[in-house]
Amino acid sequence: MLKNKERSVHYAPCKAACPILTDAREYIQLIAERRFPEAFASIRGLNPLPRIVGRICTHPCETNCKRGQLEAPIAIAALKRFASDGAWADQVWKPRIAGPTGHKVAVIGSGPAGLSAAHDLAVRGHQVTIFEALPVLGGMLRVGVPEYRLPKAVVDAEIKAVLDLGVMVKTEVKVGKDLKPSDLSDQGFEAVFVAIGAHEDRKLGIPGEDDLEGVFSAVAFLRAVNMHDRPPVGGKVAVIGGGNTAIDSARSVLRMGAESVSLLYRRSREEMPASPEEVEEAGEEGVDISYLTAPIEIRGENGRVVGLTCIRNELGEPDAGGRRRPVPVAGSEYTLDVQTVICAIGQIPQSGLFAEDFEIAERGKRIHVAEDGSLITSQSPFFAGGDAVTGPATVIRAIGAGKQAAVSIDAFLQGEPIPKVNMGESGQTPRLPEAIIEKSKQFDRCGRPTLDVAERLEGFEEVESCLSEHAATREALRCLHCYLGARIDPDKCISCLTCVRVCPLGIPEANQMGEVVIDPVECQACGLCVVECPVRAIDIGFNRRSKMFKEIEAAAATTEEGAATLVGFVDLYGNFSAADMTQLKQDYPNILPVPVFGLRRLDTVDIFKAFGLGAAGVFLARAPGETDPFPETAGRVDRVVNYTHELLASLGKKPEQLALCDMPSEGIIDHAWFEDWLKQIG
Amino acid sequence: MITVEQKKIEEITEMTKDVERLLVLGCETCAAISFAGGRRQVEELCAALRLARADQSIRGEITGDSVARQCEPEFIDMASDKIKESDAVLSLACGAGVQLIAERFPDKIVFPGTNTTFLGVTEKMGLWTERCAGCGNCLLDKTAGLCPIARCSKQLLNGPCGGSMNGKCEISKDVDCVWQQIIDRLSRLDQLDKLSEIFPVKDWTPAGHGGPRKLVREDLKS
Repeated sequence: MLKNKERSVHYAPCKAACPILTDAREYIQLIAERRFPEAFASIRGLNPLPRIVGRICTHPCETNCKRGQLEAPIAIAALKRFASDGAWADQVWKPRIAGPTGHKVAVIGSGPAGLSAAHDLAVRGHQVTIFEALPVLGGMLRVGVPEYRLPKAVVDAEIKAVLDLGVMVKTEVKVGKDLKPSDLSDQGFEAVFVAIGAHEDRKLGIPGEDDLEGVFSAVAFLRAVNMHDRPPVGGKVAVIGGGNTAIDSARSVLRMGAESVSLLYRRSREEMPASPEEVEEAGEEGVDISYLTAPIEIRGENGRVVGLTCIRNELGEPDAGGRRRPVPVAGSEYTLDVQTVICAIGQIPQSGLFAEDFEIAERGKRIHVAEDGSLITSQSPFFAGGDAVTGPATVIRAIGAGKQAAVSIDAFLQGEPIPKVNMGESGQTPRLPEAIIEKSKQFDRCGRPTLDVAERLEGFEEVESCLSEHAATREALRCLHCYLGARIDPDKCISCLTCVRVCPLGIPEANQMGEVVIDPVECQACGLCVVECPVRAIDIGFNRRSKMFKEIEAAAATTEEGAATLVGFVDLYGNFSAADMTQLKQDYPNILPVPVFGLRRLDTVDIFKAFGLGAAGVFLARAPGETDPFPETAGRVDRVVNYTHELLASLGKKPEQLALCDMPSEGIIDHAWFEDWLKQIG
Repeated sequence: MITVEQKKIEEITEMTKDVERLLVLGCETCAAISFAGGRRQVEELCAALRLARADQSIRGEITGDSVARQCEPEFIDMASDKIKESDAVLSLACGAGVQLIAERFPDKIVFPGTNTTFLGVTEKMGLWTERCAGCGNCLLDKTAGLCPIARCSKQLLNGPCGGSMNGKCEISKDVDCVWQQIIDRLSRLDQLDKLSEIFPVKDWTPAGHGGPRKLVREDLKS
């Protein structure tokens, strides 16, 4: 985890924004290469709950994504879900568990922070027991987020994977009430991670809140819904609040037969903390959102809710948190005709349970932890993290806290100093110049496959489904491979200006002394300058030819003697599936496919490499023109092939042994063409 | 730059067919800029020659290497290990480089892998044109920066011949008449009167017509 690492300026923007430093760039590239099991392994190695995160993460990575400066960011969360939901996922990743250390750790709370800490501690060989107050595991993943966003079957599967590491669980034990924290050391626990989340609703503090039937607090309401107790909601409903909990409540109650749902938020849309996708879907489903509206009284008759009096606000000066303070507009009161009111204005941890054991902050009753980021509380050996420390935040932050706690507790148990953690900000993603944005070809972001509204409201079926393989692949191909671009070795560069002339985006800049620089932020790693440079002075971090050569050599080494190998350079931008590739290898076992991100990366020497290894034929399969992100470079492969044909003819080889073909609209090769070619080359 | 063009592969394979251990030595200056002899072309040529030898069952090993410039003795000497281990060297540098290798290693067979052509400029990627003939007595101040020695087919010094038609040389409509260009540009610069200065009969000794040339700078000799 973070340990002693500072957030590097050379992390890709997606990784830098992630609380657990997910290498999104890596798994996105693997998806683009159709290497889905490896993509999953990349994700799962760091993230213990990928199917959950892929569905409900707030994806700060996407906010930082450089592609967002072109048309729209890469759908990183959806791609994570694609890689994690696939049939290959469970078969490939096996955690490596260290030998037992003999140390026992207690984790209080089985939400994402607790589960992640338990997972990482178990992997390090410690004996972990999770104490959970409720009869079910998962924390807010189980009792907060509704089924239509996060099916509980998915939560079950992810939790099982954690428990399978040997983690013990005690449910219906509320530490602080059924068991004192100090009892834990008597039971042999040498460290405790407190991850109780924030499961108590804030009160509005308005008349009618406490004594009328039909008033619900959101946490209690959602818990009841998720535990299959049908809370008696009905009629017209008002939900108060602007966070995801408020939206969850509103969309849930719509599915439970409410006549109408109005959501009231005291500030404007811009300040609303709920995820934009959630707000949009709520609107689609018919939730009526009223901005700059605050409740002042819940009116009742015969002990039941009959209405909600509200007042309009206008925005005044910013408050301590930086958001503009809502100020009521005198005389703007009105009463809504509602029978149910759900209050979702924020949650606080039930930290009172631990008031005598360690320091609790004033603000939001959060558990206080040290400034150094180690997550130790004021009282060793208690550590704390997640919503209990930060206030209501996100799943990925909670996972980050759990992983950090595991690092800290592991050091603590070994008697080592707890590593100081640099919690620096990831910083802004550098802006691309207008000229680059204009020259970059646009490819629309994939859509979100969702149920239509009528189907959604019939029940709690999952609204969003997983991307298809085709959509996921095309989306992954949009990635700009940040910081994996071309780098000039100034010792080899002869200032010939070739890179300056060939770059489709005009990125390399030469000064009058011939020093050429390539801006690592602007470069999109197309590979052209690398291959055109007459002195091979340019290296690239993406789709490296040296790696490609090694793969060709390794594959050639395993080919049977005498078998006529055909090397096929296949453009990854083509419209083919992983299954198409498997099928190709089955149909023609003597084809050695070499996938590349665009045929423009290939040079004569790559073709000769293939012939040099004994290939009887080499073909280059070109993707359909509209898939090429650098269409102005499309002519290059023709020139290379023509030149190589001439050279082959001069060497007395049959030029037909080298072929350039166009990939069909779907699939890798046109079979008729291929059979024909095989006959030609004998 | 000096423009060089790689010889046809058939000529190269013919030249080197009896060589067992062949060193292909590149040059990372003019030859590289000409896309004839830099590291990229060394790699490509080695691969092509290996392929040719495999097919024709010719014995021997091809090694590729490169130096910054083959016109400096120190750089040639830096390749001496590889040169000594080879049976022959195929130099991809200009003619000067080929000769310097032969001079530093007089017991080694050295082959030219390129044809050296002219002193010129890059007009755009893949197109170079001749500009300078190395006449040793530059007169470009009189001709508005256009050289009639290098670019006039008859090397005339006092204006166009009768064959200049519509700005083209009589030898080919693809060749511009440089004297037309000189007159146009002198006019533009308001220097047409320079044409009235008659060039005397040219002494071609500095141009090499009197024998191989040498450049000596007493102030630099150590």
